[in-house]
Amino acid sequence: MELGGKSSRAKMVASGVIPFIFLVVLVVYIFGPGSDMLDLGVPLPEITIEKIDFVDSEIIATVRNTGPIPVEIVMADVNDRFQPAAVEPDRFLERYEASKVRIPFEWNVAEPYTIGLTIQDGTRFERDVKAAAPALESSLELFAFFALIGTYVGVIPVAIGLLWLPFIKKISRAKYHFFLALTAGLLLFLAIDSVEEALAVSGESLSDSFNGALLVATVVVLSFLGLYHSGERLVGTARKSKISKPLAIALMIAIGIGLHNFGEGLAIGAAIGLGSIAFSTFLIVGFAIHNTTEGIAIAAPLSREKMMLGKLACLGMIAGVPTIFGAWVGGFAFSPFMTVIFLSVGAGAIFQITLVILRWVRENDQSLSSAPVASGLAVGMLVMYITSILV
Amino acid sequence: MILALAVLAGLFVAVLPSVTDAQLIEKIFVTHTGGVVKTTGEVIDPVYVESSMEFDPMEYLRDFDYGEISTLADGTILREFTITAEDDKIMEVAPGVFYNVWTFNGTVPGPTIRATEGDIVRINFINNGSKTHTMHFHGIHPAEMDGVFEPVGPNGGKFTYEFVAGPVGVHPYHCHVMPLEEHIVHGLYGVYIVDPKESRAPADEMVMVLNGLDTDFDTENNFYAANTIPFYYQHHPIQINTNELIRIYVVNMVEFDPINNFHLHGNLYHYYPTGTYSVPSFYTDMITLSQTERGIMEFEYIYPGKYLFHAHKVEFSEKGWTGIFLVSDEDSAVGS
Repeated sequence: MELGGKSSRAKMVASGVIPFIFLVVLVVYIFGPGSDMLDLGVPLPEITIEKIDFVDSEIIATVRNTGPIPVEIVMADVNDRFQPAAVEPDRFLERYEASKVRIPFEWNVAEPYTIGLTIQDGTRFERDVKAAAPALESSLELFAFFALIGTYVGVIPVAIGLLWLPFIKKISRAKYHFFLALTAGLLLFLAIDSVEEALAVSGESLSDSFNGALLVATVVVLSFLGLYHSGERLVGTARKSKISKPLAIALMIAIGIGLHNFGEGLAIGAAIGLGSIAFSTFLIVGFAIHNTTEGIAIAAPLSREKMMLGKLACLGMIAGVPTIFGAWVGGFAFSPFMTVIFLSVGAGAIFQITLVILRWVRENDQSLSSAPVASGLAVGMLVMYITSILV
Repeated sequence: MILALAVLAGLFVAVLPSVTDAQLIEKIFVTHTGGVVKTTGEVIDPVYVESSMEFDPMEYLRDFDYGEISTLADGTILREFTITAEDDKIMEVAPGVFYNVWTFNGTVPGPTIRATEGDIVRINFINNGSKTHTMHFHGIHPAEMDGVFEPVGPNGGKFTYEFVAGPVGVHPYHCHVMPLEEHIVHGLYGVYIVDPKESRAPADEMVMVLNGLDTDFDTENNFYAANTIPFYYQHHPIQINTNELIRIYVVNMVEFDPINNFHLHGNLYHYYPTGTYSVPSFYTDMITLSQTERGIMEFEYIYPGKYLFHAHKVEFSEKGWTGIFLVSDEDSAVGS
């Protein structure tokens, strides 16, 4: 459409702005001063105890005002028995403001505790801890321990998975497509797994006021769209430069898996930090087997390429190393909010790669309903489910 | 993508705890087990923190209302009381905790009404609340004075209760409007003492109503106390003297929990259930009381010092029903 002259341009601007002005007027009318039209019901205060740390002779609860009105923390209790406590920085919490409540208490390892906080109107909020475990204090040793776990769970399994590359190289075209579809199946499972984990964390530790499920949905879609857009450009660039399309796809897979593994690392670090899992060698083995499949996912698209050990190692690192960072962040600075965000970003990223792979398979003249593709997808999901039981 | 990241970064910043410089002064507090804790924040402690409570349990403890006394033609003593019910008051019941109390004459418990057996007790009851209320006395009286089937309407409703004081002992009075639990837990109760004609031995007398507060309305008490304010007599010990007879009129008004109890340290008490007989039924340091069960406890301390008294249902004591007798070694006059 041609827009001629100043007046039509002004009209266009006006037509865009006018509805917005009406909206502002409506909001002001409903919520503005002097309007008691919607003054129904009583806003109820709410606080959420996001985290409980057991340190030397002390229990520390991190509490956030997640309700619509300011609150004041006035009492603290352990197992429903009042205890003196210190609130830092102070006991008055505006909306979304957080404080730490330090309760001096001689707690016992591995015993369950309920920590309660009472606010100014006498309402008590509580959070259970299944088994008290000493909070992790950042030490070089622990730092190294997390790095080691991250390596076992993330880096090494991905590297082992990559070792299947020579095998995939030698197989027939149909079998190759089977492996590509298998990769898509693995990734689809991982994405669903990430969403489930994000929902679990938000349900457990985030207040309702964050709209946990919608937060996850929004971030998944944003992440998907962001990577979809930048991924297309990457592939576009790949055509012009020396980077081949398969390598570009492998790189995207590695990035997506890296994000997922960061989330996984967060979960592992946080679980150790919160004392909610006994991190046995069995669990490490479970995670390791589970994550080996991620290596196959990266290797599959590369199997028709020249073998480049350096590039392969790089991709493995991109996918695996974030587990270590995740474990550090999760263990030392756990935040349920950030965990939900990272898991959701990872899920969006993996959904996007899954789509890219399936499109690629189709471009290679392979119907998605053909036997190798359908069975590959199915086997991918199954393998992931079975290995996930080990964790 | 950049936009998405910016939004995420914004959210992240918004949920970080904020610290202001003004509060970085270090405070020190001592825990109940003797630990010393330093903090740059604020101390919340139900035992040691003073608050601006309107109701003074120390004043209530030894405050007896004998009414306006007049003598009738036949020589009978008439005691007239004016009691007003309200139900809109918000009171600080524990440091920082504000609760809607329903009151007789502005306090929980209401005034301790005291008469001698055979006196005529006349209560001019005014209901200034927003709900129907009554006054139901435990004791002996005609059916129409029972405060059950004679609802007194809100916003100025009136009723005159009149009966002969009896039997001798300690009794509760409370509102008897349904839902009864609600009217009681909000605070519409008090103590009614009937003295024998031949008065009891002189003593340092006090009233303790064992009560609970369900501040979040989940039919479980959040706080327990002797005389409403949790931990009050722990940070304001009750001062008494050695070799002086102490008499406590104890009434259990706790709702929701089937029992309450009273344990005294370093001593035993003679216990008179309901105070109706002049011979004690028990010599013990532990009595269990169900709803509105009450009695008189009498004891003397030989040794000076600090002695706890508390519910031996420890949950109650750790939620406020605990106190201290500070016994001074003085051979001061009995009944001072």
